[in-house]
Amino acid sequence: MSDLAIELASVVKTYPFFTLDHIHLQVPHGQIMGLIGPNGAGKSTTIRILMGLVQQDRGEVRVLGRRMPAEQIAAKWDIGFASEDMRLYEGMTLAWHMEFIRSIYPNWDARYAQLLLKRFGLRAEQKIKGLSHGQRVKATLLLVLARRPRLLVLDEPTTGLDPVARHEILKELTAVMTDEGRSVLFSSHNTQDVEQISDRITFIDRGRIIDSMDKEAYLDRWRRLRLEVPSGMALPALPGIIGIRQDGRVAVATANAFAPDMANAYESTGARVKSIETMTLEEIFVANVEHSREQEVEA
Amino acid sequence: MSSSFVISQTDKRPIYLQIMEQIKQRIAVGDWTEGQAIPSIRQLAVDLQVSVITVKRAYLELEREGVIVTQQGRGSHVASNPGLGMRLQQEELEKHLEQAVRLADLLGIRPKDLEARLRETGDRRMEKEGEQV
Amino acid sequence: MSSRVIQTLILKDWRLHRMHILMSLAAGVVALALLQVKGESTFLVGTVWFFVSLIVLGSMVPVSNVVNERKKQNLAFLMSLPVSAVQYAIAKMASTIGLFLLPWGVLVIAASTFVMSRADIPKGIVPLMLILFGLPLVGFCLIAATALVSESEGFTVAATIVCNSWYGLVWYFIIRNPAINGDLTSPVPVWSPTVLTILTGEAAAVALILGVTFYLQSRKREFV
Repeated sequence: MSDLAIELASVVKTYPFFTLDHIHLQVPHGQIMGLIGPNGAGKSTTIRILMGLVQQDRGEVRVLGRRMPAEQIAAKWDIGFASEDMRLYEGMTLAWHMEFIRSIYPNWDARYAQLLLKRFGLRAEQKIKGLSHGQRVKATLLLVLARRPRLLVLDEPTTGLDPVARHEILKELTAVMTDEGRSVLFSSHNTQDVEQISDRITFIDRGRIIDSMDKEAYLDRWRRLRLEVPSGMALPALPGIIGIRQDGRVAVATANAFAPDMANAYESTGARVKSIETMTLEEIFVANVEHSREQEVEA
Repeated sequence: MSSSFVISQTDKRPIYLQIMEQIKQRIAVGDWTEGQAIPSIRQLAVDLQVSVITVKRAYLELEREGVIVTQQGRGSHVASNPGLGMRLQQEELEKHLEQAVRLADLLGIRPKDLEARLRETGDRRMEKEGEQV
Repeated sequence: MSSRVIQTLILKDWRLHRMHILMSLAAGVVALALLQVKGESTFLVGTVWFFVSLIVLGSMVPVSNVVNERKKQNLAFLMSLPVSAVQYAIAKMASTIGLFLLPWGVLVIAASTFVMSRADIPKGIVPLMLILFGLPLVGFCLIAATALVSESEGFTVAATIVCNSWYGLVWYFIIRNPAINGDLTSPVPVWSPTVLTILTGEAAAVALILGVTFYLQSRKREFV
């Protein structure tokens, strides 16, 4: 049994207008991996491939040690999957769905399910068609969480939820971490959620992985430097700087490989460093995507 | 134990720094005492809804500063270190002074004028306390 | 384990279609009642009622049981369960054909009871009856298979229209066949080679349709 919960190696999937290009992804056991990227980047496709719902054209996929999609049945006993485009049966009640899942999975935890009903403010006797969007999302997640699966794969679990519902979901997702043997992979547009609860972050854009690493180390590599530049000088881009915005004598440099001696390096060019700021994941997200698109244009 | 920890989203500092500060604060005011056991990394992560790796980093930094001690298989506890409280508060003061100097600089205020401002602030505070008494 | 999951899926489909099942039984009861009343016209009405209900109820099933699951995006929910595409297909074909077999079975039982109970009806028509009842079954399997494999409501509706419009033609040619209609008036059923060939052919057609369906389903590389 491998020590990785999820492993994608050189995965390629070609569509008429989109290609997933040599995806490498690793999620160790007991960690939360946040997958972020713009719309159409390939997040959902990557997730479908690792669930065995879509077969890759090339490359190896292993989930909980099982090869996908060949061993998908075995894998899916231990995986809880929820995606944004998934729908429950409108005409049936939440209680029916709970019983349906319970009749299939032996490790359904009825007490935890009841607790989740209360926490999420859901009523089991209610039909799915009577639920609001947020309630449906919570219902789908309840069905997945109450099984306590070893791996949770969630495609946009908090999208479209109000702040309270989001908070409830994040609480349950992090609670999963009390068990070291359980892992989570989730994709989200909400960079704040990803920044808060992920152990590792993977950035995907236009079918390519841009970055994939430890979240704290990643956040540490990015800084925004505010500088004052002598009149008439264009601020040089030192190694580790991916972008500079200058207006007259005021400049802002974005570093994606920050080193402590960068401030001194700039001072020696004549510029004055006014402040060095950390960046939120959202700011990093935008800077990263803009940068990688500029590079594509140049190439 | 950790129910009063709050991670601020408007605070621009990284989460691990906020965690460190709140732990140091509890030690500085005496709520957490020398040798006292503190929540495990995983437990705190769950309580705060932050990633394990962030809490791990906070604990590692705190250990490096000698504020806490983590033992393999036995969890973490507050380090036994006399004068620890004083040192922590000194650190706080140093941080605030650095910040004041930086802000003054941005506003174009020189250190000499900053001194004057500092004295003014001190006087104002004494006045307030005088009124209360 | 897998067979239990397949069973659960079949039961789930029947649970979702409980209205259909009730209506089939009701239609059957009505037709049976009509048949009891003596008289040519009620017999005719009863028979026509039967076939119409059969075709109507049968036509709705592939769309409501197969196509809608995909259209209403329930498929992702099901494929997250521990099933493969082939197992899903097995469960789906079984539940769909099962839903058809109910009204069909009621028809067959009612018609057979009627023929057996009436002394004035020659039992020679029994082979023809079986052949005629077999046709909608084969047709339905084809429509259900199309629904599952094509994943398209358009194709399914087209297949339904084509099948339903060909019944008349096929019946016409079968009834005109002297090897069959020659023995209609016989007091006992006559199992001529022609009759047996056609019946075997119908069974083989069902097996072939199912086999091809499962093969094609196993070749699919995307399910949602």
